[in-house]
Amino acid sequence: MKVSARAAVWWLAAPLLLTTLLLVIGPLLVTVGMALTHYDALGAARFAGADNLVQLWNDGLFWKSVWNSTIVAAWSVPMRLAIALALALLLMPRIVGASTARTVVYLPTVVPDIAYALLWLWILNPIYGPLGLALRAAGFPAEEWLMSAWGARGAIVLLSLFQIGEVYVVLLAARRELPGELYELCAVEGASPWYTFRRVTLPLLMPAILFLAARDVAISLQTSFVPALVITKGGPNFATLFLPLYVYQNAFEYLRFGYAAALSLAMFGLTGAMVAAQWWILRRWWR
Amino acid sequence: MSGLRLQNIAKAYDGQPVIADLSLEVAEGELLVLVGPSGSGKSTLLRIIAGLIAHDHGEIHVNTRSVGQLPPDQRDIAMVFQSYALFPHLTVQDNLSFGMRARGESLAAGIPRIQTVAAQLGLTAMLGRYPRQLSGGERQRVALARAMLRQPKLFLLDEPLSNLDAQLRVQTRAEILKLHRQLATTMVYVTHDQIEALSMGDRIGVLRGGVLEDLGTPAAIYARPANLFVAKFLGSPSMNTFTAVLEADQLQIGTRRHPVALAGIAQRGPVTAGIRPEHISLQGSRWAQGECPAVPLDGVVEVVEFAGDQRFLEIDMDGIELIARAEPEFAPRPGDRVQFWFDPERIQLFDPVSEVSLRGRSA
Repeated sequence: MKVSARAAVWWLAAPLLLTTLLLVIGPLLVTVGMALTHYDALGAARFAGADNLVQLWNDGLFWKSVWNSTIVAAWSVPMRLAIALALALLLMPRIVGASTARTVVYLPTVVPDIAYALLWLWILNPIYGPLGLALRAAGFPAEEWLMSAWGARGAIVLLSLFQIGEVYVVLLAARRELPGELYELCAVEGASPWYTFRRVTLPLLMPAILFLAARDVAISLQTSFVPALVITKGGPNFATLFLPLYVYQNAFEYLRFGYAAALSLAMFGLTGAMVAAQWWILRRWWR
Repeated sequence: MSGLRLQNIAKAYDGQPVIADLSLEVAEGELLVLVGPSGSGKSTLLRIIAGLIAHDHGEIHVNTRSVGQLPPDQRDIAMVFQSYALFPHLTVQDNLSFGMRARGESLAAGIPRIQTVAAQLGLTAMLGRYPRQLSGGERQRVALARAMLRQPKLFLLDEPLSNLDAQLRVQTRAEILKLHRQLATTMVYVTHDQIEALSMGDRIGVLRGGVLEDLGTPAAIYARPANLFVAKFLGSPSMNTFTAVLEADQLQIGTRRHPVALAGIAQRGPVTAGIRPEHISLQGSRWAQGECPAVPLDGVVEVVEFAGDQRFLEIDMDGIELIARAEPEFAPRPGDRVQFWFDPERIQLFDPVSEVSLRGRSA
């Protein structure tokens, strides 16, 4: 069978287009529709108009979860990027042990989320967890980490700092792409390592960093779900109630699918707003 | 005074020598071209001089100062890189002032100098542009300007023309020579292009496998290459070479005999002989030189190549392939038999084993 080039393009793109339609566009439209109803999956959906949105606006827990998600992203994303960048630059030279170390950096990223969360539940255990033991051995008071609001949020941020494999690999590749002669020139011109980092490496990596930051914000809003569900259950006192967890609770624990759909849309909007905001800020800053 | 002195420089990677006990001296203000095929160690040597690669052995002096143990920025050198190494995120002006900023020098004093050098290289209108907005030749000039701003004792240029197209290359070659004359600063210029080497160098150093195979003025090296490698490497088309036997006063090539000048050569027996295309005289050609011997050589024309102002003939002489040069009007047809002879003084003779020239060189 002969296929024209134009037709071939559509055939080749079809799997992606089809799955995007089925798994992204479709659910998005369903979510928008569902947000306009009261629906408990037991009876028929009832049209609710803007009821869900009004309720959302007046829901203190919704605003609390927005705040929690934002604060965790604000801490987690810059630290993740900084650590990934530092590791990428440190482990770039072809020295003994570097390739093993590169693998080690990537490893936590391939651990399934549930297993990873359970592992941290053990690490953070105040009685027999290694973190508590180490802190006590070093003479610090063994705090009940997960019992305080900031301790629990800190734990969520802390555990997010190890699954940075993808960010790290992209930055490593981006750094490798920078021409070696630029660095030879820096040496000939007498630029210090810090000056070279600030004035050459960082600006040249900025496009990659900006892209990764935007991506990481979107990911951070979603990936806080599993640890919050497994480790903190949203507590203490809703301190780690993140948006995706709140969506999950409304849908599958309270069977309020309409309201959960409205929350999902809010999360979608928040993600877009945060990505746009940082894009704008960083671009201003680097001009 | 010497502008650069290298003494017994050696460098090895994993036990593999890339520069082997290399010594040379460049006079102050001289332009030395280091030429060699890729992998000959010429770029490595340049980076050793710059301090970008640490050498295992030996001494480096710039003027009279020993710099071998100093970091690159304290060696009184400036370098122009093959890729030009311009920062894509900085304007031409910021590229030019990069070094001053990095070293924390005063820009108040630097900016007027930048403007002077930019004017000298015709870059004034481009100071506000980014490298991506410049042509290859303009980028090249920015890289040169940046090197000049350092006012070094020694310029190091690493294949600075290899990213330019052919026409621009010839033009830029002349510009660099002019600049060198104005600045009168010592330059070491690395290239793989033998034409660039012959046309630019006050002297040429030919490198192969980290060994300096020959060093001398372009004319001297071209006329009397130190060995077979240098003979074949310099010149285009390259020198014809073939095995022959050196007799009392003649050269025996297969069953033929040809006169050869043998002043000062004691060795007899098998040799590798060489003759450049322009030193083969064709019977009937206007460019033929000297006298046709009683029994000339002869062969069959295989290919005739027109090159505008000259013509190259590929001749088969009983299995020996020779390329000869003649005026463009001299146009035998492939298959024609031609007679020719060599200039006896210009026949190069090399030891068949060591490949070293038997002729030596009177500087």
